[in-house]
Amino acid sequence: MGREVSESCVDSLLTEMVSMYCNRLYANKPELAASRIDAIGYQVGHQLSERYTMERPRFTDHLDAIKFICKDFWSELFKKQIDNLKTNHRGTFVLQDNRFRWLSRMSLDPSPENGDVPQENSEAAAENKAAQVPNMHLHFSCGVIKGALHNLGIACAVSADTSHLPACSFVVRIKP
Amino acid sequence: MIVCVAVVGHQNNPLYIQSFTDADDALKLHHIVHCSLDVVDERVNNPKKSGPTLNETFLGLLYPTENYKVYGYLTNTKVKFILVTTDLDVKDADVRNFFRRFHAGYVDAISNPFHEPGKKITSKTFAERVSNIVKSFGFSSTA
Repeated sequence: MGREVSESCVDSLLTEMVSMYCNRLYANKPELAASRIDAIGYQVGHQLSERYTMERPRFTDHLDAIKFICKDFWSELFKKQIDNLKTNHRGTFVLQDNRFRWLSRMSLDPSPENGDVPQENSEAAAENKAAQVPNMHLHFSCGVIKGALHNLGIACAVSADTSHLPACSFVVRIKP
Repeated sequence: MIVCVAVVGHQNNPLYIQSFTDADDALKLHHIVHCSLDVVDERVNNPKKSGPTLNETFLGLLYPTENYKVYGYLTNTKVKFILVTTDLDVKDADVRNFFRRFHAGYVDAISNPFHEPGKKITSKTFAERVSNIVKSFGFSSTA
């Protein structure tokens, strides 16, 4: 028996969290905002991994844990599995989701935020800003994956690649 | 009768210890829990038989002392649950059931956003839940 949450609720919460950290709390320091959002995701991932590994036997190695993330963890969070998993067998994994749920409702058209940006710079600034926004949202998801893996005993660094929205790849580098 | 339950984190830091008998035995029970951590480590690192028991969460009877039996359970996140009981004829299924409910209670307790991972569990709800599980231990085998 589990309780359900409406998806629009989760989307709104994530959007508002990113907007608050980027625009109000750390308006001029995007790296600090990113690391705070990452830390929130870390704690969430930590707690979620505890819950979702409850009934399962223990993992034997790193690949098992990554497969758990790709299959069970992702299905619990997004009702689908990771579409593609690649590895270089030396501690780097690429998890690709062809339609990342938390970005699926995000508009991809760059549009200027405020009207008094000079005309020549508006295109570049708007594109820059549009590229930053999904990156900020992805810091949370990267934090979730990192927290979950840390709780399973795997120290790693996670980054996201959004060159082909709405598909999204997460690159996990396991620290030796 | 269960005398003590303990939750120990993955760096062998105690997260929750609760004894259910008189207070003057508490130190001895803490000591027993501490010793059992070594047994858990040994069981996990040197599996005697590599087979279905290799990756199970329930570790079974760790070691019997003069009048206590100590059971262990290791989660995927390297958190250990230790159960000390004085019952002589404890059914395996009962202990497994206990640990399953205890694990569920533990997961709920640490999903609390105000709980700091690595610190002791201070939730009263968790303490109540644990004492309920302990009270119904052994009686629910036919339910």
